[in-house]
Amino acid sequence: MFAAKGKAIAWISALLLILSAILSACSSNSDSAPASSQAAGQGDKVITFSWARDIGEMNPHVYNPSQLIAQSMIYEPLVRYADGGKLEPHLAESWTISPDGKAYTFKLRQNVKFSDGTAFNAAIVKKNFDAIMRKAENHSWLGFIAALDKTEAVDEYTFKLTLKQAYYPTLQELAVVRPVRFLGEAGFPDDGDTSKGVKKPVGTGPWMLADYKKDEYAEFTRNPNYWGEQPKADKIVIKVIPDGETRVLAFEKGDLDLIYGEGVISMDAFQQLKDSGKYETGVSEPVGTRLMVMNTANAALSDLRVRLALQHGFNKQAMVDGVTAGLEEKADNILSTNFPYTDISVTPIGYDVEKAKAYLDEAGWKLPDGKTVREKEGKPLELELIYEKSDQILKPMAETLQAEWAAIGVKLTITGLDLTEQIKRFRAKEFDLNFSSNYGAPYDPHSFIHVVAENDFGFSAALSNLPEKDHLVKQIQDALSSTDEKKRAELYASILTTLQEQASLVPISYIKKTVVYHKNVSGFQFPANREEHPFNSLDIAR
Amino acid sequence: MGSYIGRRLLAVLPIFLFATFLTFLLIHLSPVDPAEAYLAASHIQPTEELIAQKRQEFGLDQPLLVQYAQALMKMCRLDFGTSYISNQPVWDEVMLRMPATIQLAFSSLLLAVIVSVPLGFLSALYKNGVIDQISRLLAFFGASIPQFWLGYLLIYFFAVKLDLLPVQGKGTLANLVLPSLTLAMGLIAVYSRLLRTSVLEQLREPYVLYARTRGLKEKLIMGKHVLKIAFSPMLTGLGMNMGKLLAGTIIVEEVFSWPGFGRYFIEAIFNRDIPVIQCYVLLSACLFILCNLIVDLLQMYLNPRISWKGRTES
Repeated sequence: MFAAKGKAIAWISALLLILSAILSACSSNSDSAPASSQAAGQGDKVITFSWARDIGEMNPHVYNPSQLIAQSMIYEPLVRYADGGKLEPHLAESWTISPDGKAYTFKLRQNVKFSDGTAFNAAIVKKNFDAIMRKAENHSWLGFIAALDKTEAVDEYTFKLTLKQAYYPTLQELAVVRPVRFLGEAGFPDDGDTSKGVKKPVGTGPWMLADYKKDEYAEFTRNPNYWGEQPKADKIVIKVIPDGETRVLAFEKGDLDLIYGEGVISMDAFQQLKDSGKYETGVSEPVGTRLMVMNTANAALSDLRVRLALQHGFNKQAMVDGVTAGLEEKADNILSTNFPYTDISVTPIGYDVEKAKAYLDEAGWKLPDGKTVREKEGKPLELELIYEKSDQILKPMAETLQAEWAAIGVKLTITGLDLTEQIKRFRAKEFDLNFSSNYGAPYDPHSFIHVVAENDFGFSAALSNLPEKDHLVKQIQDALSSTDEKKRAELYASILTTLQEQASLVPISYIKKTVVYHKNVSGFQFPANREEHPFNSLDIAR
Repeated sequence: MGSYIGRRLLAVLPIFLFATFLTFLLIHLSPVDPAEAYLAASHIQPTEELIAQKRQEFGLDQPLLVQYAQALMKMCRLDFGTSYISNQPVWDEVMLRMPATIQLAFSSLLLAVIVSVPLGFLSALYKNGVIDQISRLLAFFGASIPQFWLGYLLIYFFAVKLDLLPVQGKGTLANLVLPSLTLAMGLIAVYSRLLRTSVLEQLREPYVLYARTRGLKEKLIMGKHVLKIAFSPMLTGLGMNMGKLLAGTIIVEEVFSWPGFGRYFIEAIFNRDIPVIQCYVLLSACLFILCNLIVDLLQMYLNPRISWKGRTES
């Protein structure tokens, strides 16, 4: 009996010993915190930032899980998207477009070197395009890739791409972060197929990946061979912090120098940091519009009067202010006016319950005595609004609409769906009303009008039963293939005005980016391109 | 004893089959089509042909049972497929993150044991004394506070206000303190009270009285006899709480940016990375079964009154 007890004690102590051995082994193995502060020399300007996810593979030609913000630090485009949708020369110094709009000839900048010192020229541009086109099906969501016929390196610094048909947004789409950015020769795998990975991340951008630990951090240092103006900071450290509240705490402690992005911290946290007065805060210009898409194939929604009644029937200002705590701005335009060709004047559809009721009466939807839901020919006015259920903003908005429309005799069912399910039903047009948004810079306005006209996309449900549908679709096709700037502007004005008047796309609010930084950080500017990084102009005083 | 372990391991098989089948079924009953999830995750515009092609590639056009059998065969070879997001084998991705999670789980378990054994024992010996009151308070607090909230509170006081420990990340021992404490708190709450009750029960047993009349030293009675037997329910609790610990790491890893398996699982859910989700659920089930087995075996060493025979027959 004593022997058994002795054994038991031995067992427990052995177990504890093993546990502690594993514990200490684990902790000594992973002595790997980013050495940002200590490793950087005295006086080095290090800016520490956080991102919700690991930056992923730094390959310019792939998507998720690679993070756009980090890809845009290393790799650069031929053309840069600047404020208001102006397209500025970047790796291409200038370009000419053939009169038929099919051939684009780029004069490349001559003093550009990759971070490993190798030259940037037409041959490497061509090689990158070839790698991208090997997997063209992955990239055909970009209109110009779908239209691309051939590419050629005309001479050392002249690159030409030819399209199958004219597609005016080509230059704008060349400004996107992926996949049309350029990897240096040393990064290419032996078979040239970058879709399976790159050897090392060699780009022409101002930053180079210096240190990286998956799921923990990435450190970027300046590219000594950078052709343009050197960034102010010496080093950018991106820590992976998935949780918004932790991000705020790390920021308050001083572990982070800035917080930047869309929805990276809660609205409450932002407000609190702002109110404390200890930090600099800012909100960007609209990066996109939250829209409600009405499916005009629905009998009730096919009537313009019903659509107008619904728009008059809720207090948009109060809803947006209430739900987003003022972080988003009430939207009257379907596309905000800071995109190319979108600066049109619109007449806002104001909050007016009496007008809403009058429209519904006029459309034949009457309120029977003793009932709360309007009817027409014995059918009640019932609609379903679908939204992505994990979204913190859409759910309260849906609930607000449900309550407000009940007051005008419309029964709204709200259905929160899993993201993939929502996307599926949206595409299959199995909905009455759906919350969505446009793409933002540098994809709009052309991507937006494209999906509105294309039958394969849920957005086109807004057009299904409009009397102007055929005319609109024709105008959209003309705009996308137009070669005349003035004509294009007129077409856009006409298309957007018609969409506003038809009221089947309901602008709700403008989505904005937020930034919070310590007072020793300066030079912050929101990038014009929604997906670019903001680090080049940042400076920090220590 | 060998045959007992053998039999227990055999009993694991149906549980394993049930767990795999359940996850398999759940995933297939969910409205998310794996083929579409794959395309969405890869940022490829889904067309009817592409979806059909992927469905064929994943074997989704086969009857459900055939799919299940195929998946099972692959699992036995530790082949859990490729992640939709990273295109890497799921097993590699999981193994990359497993050490961090195991480290966190063990350190919090260790902490829980180190704190709750003396706490529970002392609060039984000095019933209704100061230590007992403190331990009661701690138990209420630890059992009722949500883990994420506790995590934030600890960060706020110890990292932001007092500036003693890092907010997040992994690397040094200092990084381990707050997440381990967060995870251990709930366990401490349960174990310390469990041990207290159990010690009090044992103290009423005749053998204690007998030992006292024999004139054995109180220290010896407590240390060598009472504590050992009183330890038994706590051990059972430990085994049962492994599942809780695993679920806890998901939250704690997210809050403390701990680069482990739980956080990876969360990301997989958001991305509808089905192979990863499947692998996680399966491994959790296996771990749960294994922990219970180990605890049972330990129990029998500690408490000889639980015989092998009795166990195998029941």
